[in-house]
Amino acid sequence: MAEMVRKASAFEIFNHWVLAISCLLLALSGYGFLFKLEGITALFGGANAMKDIHNYLGIVFTLSLFLSIFNWLKDALSFDSDDIKWIACAGGYLSKHPKVPPMGKLNTGQKLYYLALLAFGIAIAISGFVIWLMPGQRNYIILSHLVHNISFVVLMIAVPVHIYLATIANPGTFRIMVYGTVPYKWAAKRHPKWIQELSHGK
Amino acid sequence: MGRKALLISPELCIGCRACQVACKSWQQLPADKTKNTGSYENPGDLTPNLYNKIRFVEVPSQENPVRWLFVSQRCMHCDDAGCMKICPAPGALYKTKEGIVAFNKDKCIGCKLCVAGCPFDVPRYDEKGKISKCNLCEDRVAENMIPACAKTCPTGSIKYGDWDEMVASSKKAGYEKLYGQMDLGGLGVLYAFKDTPKLYGLNERPQIPESIVFWHNVLKPLAYIGLGGVVAASALHYLLIGPHKEEEEV
Ligand code: HEM
Ligand code: SF4
Ligand code: SF4
Repeated sequence: MAEMVRKASAFEIFNHWVLAISCLLLALSGYGFLFKLEGITALFGGANAMKDIHNYLGIVFTLSLFLSIFNWLKDALSFDSDDIKWIACAGGYLSKHPKVPPMGKLNTGQKLYYLALLAFGIAIAISGFVIWLMPGQRNYIILSHLVHNISFVVLMIAVPVHIYLATIANPGTFRIMVYGTVPYKWAAKRHPKWIQELSHGK
Repeated sequence: MGRKALLISPELCIGCRACQVACKSWQQLPADKTKNTGSYENPGDLTPNLYNKIRFVEVPSQENPVRWLFVSQRCMHCDDAGCMKICPAPGALYKTKEGIVAFNKDKCIGCKLCVAGCPFDVPRYDEKGKISKCNLCEDRVAENMIPACAKTCPTGSIKYGDWDEMVASSKKAGYEKLYGQMDLGGLGVLYAFKDTPKLYGLNERPQIPESIVFWHNVLKPLAYIGLGGVVAASALHYLLIGPHKEEEEV
């Protein structure tokens, strides 16, 4: 087999799954609440149970989001001129034969996605806890309800795009969520600046 | 068509609170312990065990030093009901064919979002956190009886009947416009006020909070248009441009 390089640790893989699954279940129950869908409440064992599941999954999601900071925030905050070029060519996704500027461990899209997820994730979490733990406090609830739902709309646009790009749109990427490793050659093409950093050994 | 209403005429109310008692009796609601606050109004606010309360308002003036207003305070059974808009639990709040906004405690999840949607601060919550408010005696109404409060009122200050008829008859009696006739699609509880609604403790222009209307009209559609849009765009991208494969091995 080809030479492999590790992109995610076992813990990072685990935490990503926790984040992904809690987010998807929260979103599914969220749609159930939003449109009062009895088909969805039945899946969760009724609306009362769905409320509890939604609320406690919120704790899981929040903890997982917090831990994700250690995985990604540092890389997500490092921008340079290649990022501008990346945006200018839309990451190469509009071309069948993409030429993309050299990227670090995360490409520009991944960095922006993570920052958005972090911002709106914090917003949806805080507003969710307010709705949960401060019931009946009218002004706080009205504001939190708005924030919770704006964040929801943003996440329901961003997350599916992320899933698409991380699976069938970029063959070879999804294995990171299973094995944490990628072929050295693939990494050298997709994330050359990261590989450089690795081989220069800091 | 089919919509019913209560017509409340504070001018006729003598503050006897028979309606308050009749309501508790029909709805089998226990008494609340209250404190003397120096007013005959008792209890001082709606509670989970008090769906209908007579508000006592003293408005002394030069000409009339003892003017005292009595007015029934309760759920208004809004046509465009903020509580129903915001409620996330299927079947917790529902409308009957008479236009009553009724509730089902078994389906209520106790999230208390409804009080944020209600322009009249009506929903209260029982000891299990479930919604508790006037349901216009929907069980009586379903059996062609009139609500307990209207049945009991000795002066005709609370009348029950067809919505249109209530509006028409009060117009004949000299009330050009009833309070609630035009608000929120028309309230199911109409008031024949001689003075400004404020004097009776009610908002001139009751409204569902703007952010909730915005959420309902804009964010809710966006929540499925957005998701559907990006799923469709991804599928299209996959078909037209295709995945980003490594072309030749380096
Ligand atoms: C992170 C902590 C979270 C907490 C504590 C939380 C809590 C809540 C609460 C209390 C409600 C009101 C209904 C109920 O009582 O269950 C609610 C509704 C909702 N949640 Fe969450 N939530 C969280 C995260 C999320 C996430 C991550 C999503 C989506 C990805 C989401 C989507 C929704 C939606 C769409 C609704 C229904 C809209 C509404 O009625 O406001 N929530 N959430
Ligand atoms: S407390 Fe009950 S009735 Fe009120 S919004 Fe929540 S589920 Fe609906
Ligand atoms: S008065 Fe409040 S609780 Fe009653 S129907 Fe209107 S919004 Fe709902």
